[in-house]
Amino acid sequence: MSEPKEAALLSKMASEVFAGMIAPALENAPLIQAAEDDVLAKEDVLVRMERELKRALEKSPAERRWVMVIDLRRCIGCHACTIGCVAENKLPPGVVYRPVLTEEIGKYPHVAYRFLPKPCLQCENAPCTPVCPVNATYTNEEGVIVVDYDQCIGCRACISACPYASRTFDFGVNYTDKTVDRLTMVLGSSEAGKYETAGTAFEYGERRERQQHHSPIGNVRKCHFCLHRIKVGILPACTTTCIGRATYFGDANDPDALVSELIAKPNVMRLKEELGTEPRVYYLL
Amino acid sequence: MTNPEQTNAKASFTRRDFLKISGIAGGTLAVLGNLPQGREAIRQAFNLGENTEFFEAKPENQIYSVCLQCNTGCGIKVKLYEGLAAKIDGNPYSPWTLWPHIPYQTPISEAATSEGALCPKGQSGIQTAYDPYRLVSVLKRKPGTKRGEGQWETISFEQALDEIVNGGDLFGEGKVEGLKDLYAVRDPELMKQMGAAIKAIWDEKDAEKKKELLKKFQEDFKDHLDKLIDPQHPDLGPKNNQLAFVWGRMKNGRGDLVRRFFDQGFGTLNYNGHTTVCQGSLYFTGKQMSSRWNPQTGQFDSGDKFYWQADTGNSEFVIYAGANLYDANYGPPQRVPKATQASIDGRKFAVIDPRLSKLAARAWKWVPIKPGTDAAFALGMIRWIFENERYNQEYLAIANQAAASAAGEPNCSNAAWLVKVKDGKPTTFLRASEIGLVEAQKETDKEGKEVTVYVAKDGTKFTCDVPVILMDGKPFAFDPVDPEAAPAVGEILVDTKVGEFAVKSSLQILKEEAEKHTLDEWAKICDVKVEDIILLAYEFTSHGRKAVIDIHRGPSQHTNGFYANNAYYALNLLIGNFDYAGGTVKGTTYNRLGEKAGQPFPLGKMIKNALTPFGIDILRTKVAYEKTTLFNKEKPYPTKRPWFPIASDIYQEDVPSMGDAYPYQIKVFIQYMNGMAYSLPAAQTVIDILADPKKIPLIIASDILIGETSAYADYVFPDLSYLERWEFHGTHPSVVWKVEGIRQPAISLPNWPTVNVFGAAIPLSFEALLLGIAEKLNLPGFGKDAFGEGLSYIYPEDFYLKMAANVAFGEKEDGSDAVPEADDEELRIFREARRFLPSSVFDEKRWKAAVGNDESLWRRVVYVLNRGGRYQDFAKAYKGSQVTNKYGRLINLYHEKTYKSINTMTGEHMFGCATYVPAGLDYMDQEIKDEGYDLHLITYKTITMTKARTITNYWLLAVMPEGYVVINSEDARKRGIKHGDRVRLSSASNPEGLWDVKHGRKIPIVGKAYVTEGIRPGVVAFPLGFGHWASGSSDIIIDGQVVKGDTRRAVPLHANAVMRVDPVTKNVTLSDLVGGSAVFYDTKVKVEKA
Repeated sequence: MSEPKEAALLSKMASEVFAGMIAPALENAPLIQAAEDDVLAKEDVLVRMERELKRALEKSPAERRWVMVIDLRRCIGCHACTIGCVAENKLPPGVVYRPVLTEEIGKYPHVAYRFLPKPCLQCENAPCTPVCPVNATYTNEEGVIVVDYDQCIGCRACISACPYASRTFDFGVNYTDKTVDRLTMVLGSSEAGKYETAGTAFEYGERRERQQHHSPIGNVRKCHFCLHRIKVGILPACTTTCIGRATYFGDANDPDALVSELIAKPNVMRLKEELGTEPRVYYLL
Repeated sequence: MTNPEQTNAKASFTRRDFLKISGIAGGTLAVLGNLPQGREAIRQAFNLGENTEFFEAKPENQIYSVCLQCNTGCGIKVKLYEGLAAKIDGNPYSPWTLWPHIPYQTPISEAATSEGALCPKGQSGIQTAYDPYRLVSVLKRKPGTKRGEGQWETISFEQALDEIVNGGDLFGEGKVEGLKDLYAVRDPELMKQMGAAIKAIWDEKDAEKKKELLKKFQEDFKDHLDKLIDPQHPDLGPKNNQLAFVWGRMKNGRGDLVRRFFDQGFGTLNYNGHTTVCQGSLYFTGKQMSSRWNPQTGQFDSGDKFYWQADTGNSEFVIYAGANLYDANYGPPQRVPKATQASIDGRKFAVIDPRLSKLAARAWKWVPIKPGTDAAFALGMIRWIFENERYNQEYLAIANQAAASAAGEPNCSNAAWLVKVKDGKPTTFLRASEIGLVEAQKETDKEGKEVTVYVAKDGTKFTCDVPVILMDGKPFAFDPVDPEAAPAVGEILVDTKVGEFAVKSSLQILKEEAEKHTLDEWAKICDVKVEDIILLAYEFTSHGRKAVIDIHRGPSQHTNGFYANNAYYALNLLIGNFDYAGGTVKGTTYNRLGEKAGQPFPLGKMIKNALTPFGIDILRTKVAYEKTTLFNKEKPYPTKRPWFPIASDIYQEDVPSMGDAYPYQIKVFIQYMNGMAYSLPAAQTVIDILADPKKIPLIIASDILIGETSAYADYVFPDLSYLERWEFHGTHPSVVWKVEGIRQPAISLPNWPTVNVFGAAIPLSFEALLLGIAEKLNLPGFGKDAFGEGLSYIYPEDFYLKMAANVAFGEKEDGSDAVPEADDEELRIFREARRFLPSSVFDEKRWKAAVGNDESLWRRVVYVLNRGGRYQDFAKAYKGSQVTNKYGRLINLYHEKTYKSINTMTGEHMFGCATYVPAGLDYMDQEIKDEGYDLHLITYKTITMTKARTITNYWLLAVMPEGYVVINSEDARKRGIKHGDRVRLSSASNPEGLWDVKHGRKIPIVGKAYVTEGIRPGVVAFPLGFGHWASGSSDIIIDGQVVKGDTRRAVPLHANAVMRVDPVTKNVTLSDLVGGSAVFYDTKVKVEKA
């Protein structure tokens, strides 16, 4: 918002504070006035971040520092990010990269809900990677913690090691399992279930048909900031689907990036800072 | 599943092998694996993970369309992987998914990596399309089994059409009349003449003369009386009316086909939507507030069936009353970013809702109002605003369009107009001639016709008897609509006598309604703090035009919904915020029907021999009861069922009216995307009637699966899902940009059947059903040359592409409003994106021919389709402090048309202004006292569910797997109920708490308790969308084979069946008899541990 508008807003807020005292005086004031301000036109942050993403892609991977910022004041607990992630990565039942935790606080009638979207926090000092017996999970050169699906042996040591419960195991079930099939009058699961099995998830830029005994079934899976999307200039699915515009993504090494502005705000925090994990996911309170 | 042992050796290398190896030589592999070249070596060696270009980013793999997972109409981008809908994201051209949306002229290649935000339902849409339970064959109820028994036979499309058209003993239950038997009057001229004669009967006020006209009708049409439903009551209309069509979710395009088929083609009046199950009383409040002054007749014509919403993004203060825009409310992607931005900016909003919605949880103030008392809260605010004179007096004084223009106001109201008061009750507007301000004179007009004009003493001539205001203390006659007329600026609070008439201004009537109770009394009725009423009223009147009240289902779905909505809208009028940025706005669309000069296809006129239906419709909405031959002078009231003079599409009345055969029997009932047996309150009463072939002899459904309502049909025709079909989604009230979202085929299911219609193979679909019947009955408007020489209506797109062409052309006669032509690159992308669609769906030559083979027009159509519709640029929607796409005319604070309407149950006039009447009344306006039922039941939406149709989306169920009974901790404690306990709901009209779905199946209305602080004590709620018994949730038998149901879809809870049945008619939910709403929120229930 422009300066005058902010000033007007401040004075308005001040007047509300003292409304009780000054209300009689207001009676004579011109109460109805047509505001001549322009509408709150601006750029959607998604458009800005996409532009910044493309700028970042011009640099070498090692020069980038991907971070995510989640503004909890804007999160409405809609789970668009949760499902956006499931849809993008074709996550099966039991696998979730981006849960949103809900909590009720207060006592009637003073009640509120708190929502906490929780992707993998992509820790600088990740507790999950050193425990991998086969080095299948590691921090890539862009700072994102990845899982090599061909290397992972599914031992789940990393699941136990993650203090944020950001990893889940793929047991190989599908949503369309146990639905009707092999009848001619209805579509049936073999045909209907192709969106799950045909290999339309391109995690890590690789196409994999979903088959039993093939990765990533039997692997540990986790959020990877949608590296496959980033690579082609599309923001992570949780970011573009955020209808409250609570999720921001970008290159913190770019001083002009939105995320760089946001992580310097006084209301920024990270989960379990005391662990020294140095997450690359920040929260605004 | 592939067995790894059977595939080639490389691919069969499994993790078990890997474990073995790593057990032996793990160290080595681990080291090897750590080197980048090592990883690649392994990948190549074992052929794992195919490195392919990511399909999502390429425009050739994207088709833009419009979502239909709810009715918001967000633009979508369907991302295709070899023809499979692999992912759905937001369409960045659509103002629903980006704020601001990208410029319309952005090339689609550039937009390929941009996507707007879409809600979880929208993203899960591929599970609607790819539902294993999607029907792919036409089904017929197995003869010898009952409706709803779940036994079906597949039947060919041809055979099914033959049976429904010709009738016969179709089920071994005796003869059933087919459509051909009901297609009685086929001659358009005869139908027109009969209709005119009926209108003359209705318009005759003298009872004796009426009788004579009736006799004359019977003589004039004596050769055709057999074509009527009842020759004694010819105004019931022809037998054609005994075909009824009812839809659940229907959008334009298909809606236009429905009008062409049922109205112009078949000649029935009975094609009705579902409006009243959503927020009917809101639509019909809008309709009355917008009813148009007719300068020819001096009366009010019909208004627009619509409503207004807040321009959320620019408001400084919003009160959301029973509106839940973080979960629903047209709708989250479009409105949420604006509301969350307001939170960050420190712009306040308040929420009036008995339940703490997610929106309320983020509000500056949550007012947990007692359900059904919204009008009381609003009138309390109104009273305080009047007492403190915090209303826009200058605006309210503006009484006509001329004065509005002079003042730079976008619209005006009738706040200052004088209403005659009789016995203390407001009646009709005072007309100038009644007090001698004008005199009627005969005059010959330009065409030599004698007309009556009304002349004032100063010589001013009016075309009709005009209304009156007080100006400078004197009565003043004025023209309400002529922009060139004398500006009329009136006194706004008038209570006086003019001539022999006691009169009050409309605003005075509102003020007196507000003064019926003190603030404390209003607060007591709502059971809120009086300070909250004052605080909201103060804040609401502290932001000029940038404050607004946004209303939705909450106030609407009560028996007093119409008046609650009127009261809230009256508040908006008091600050004059209509058509202002940050105020009250409406939606605007591009004309698709070619009604604007210069548009290429004037579709309404492109039909020969169209029929013009006449008579009384099954819902009794199109004519006043008192005018008809059914009017019983001796005992006029109550009628058997209510008439609805100001509402229409009264969904809850369709089937009960059929059940009572009032006013006549419906013999064939066709339904489309119809969830009434699930979605209506007290829907078990609907099932009772649907299941009985004696009441409705033939039921035909068009559906994508066997849903809760099509389960009771005799025939089910498979339809295309929203990702496979055409529609014109239009807009919603809070969208200020001029738009037209176009839904178009993005996918085709593999091996989807085609059927033969008019000699062509078209996809089995709703269109195929109607076109097939049209061919058999030779209905006008279909088949070869149906739109004119060389323009046939055979393929679905023959109609829809013409609409797309109209949208592409725009609304300026000279073509200056047309979109650009697609260039060769855009055309190439258009073609390639459709490369997996079968020729029955996409054939470029055929599509181009549908728009008349006009290359330029075709390229413009491509341009529009490439963007999934047409969307006005962001900046064009506002001009200064006002919106560009204005409502821009008279707003009725007092509605004369409402006053003139009679409630046919009580015989009383309806009240024409906002007022408070208690909620929860029966059809005779009597209060219902259900002793012993101590909790007030309400419903709500979660963002993951859209009533009847999203249970098939497993991703959504993963977020919220079932619906709960939401109960306040205090209420739970008193009943010994703990979080998660199973509880049963029951009511006075359903004391057992069971949903009888027939044939021995009774579903307990039992769900888990969700104990919370976030609901008003004394109120319990449940979310809509769960508790299915059809839709693939339970076993059915087709051709003797069991189609096994999936119990994930049968999870609790659906409690509509405990909602109160009207004790007067005994076969319908409670209803708002003025605004038409089906009542969801006026039932008292008992909640007990199950």
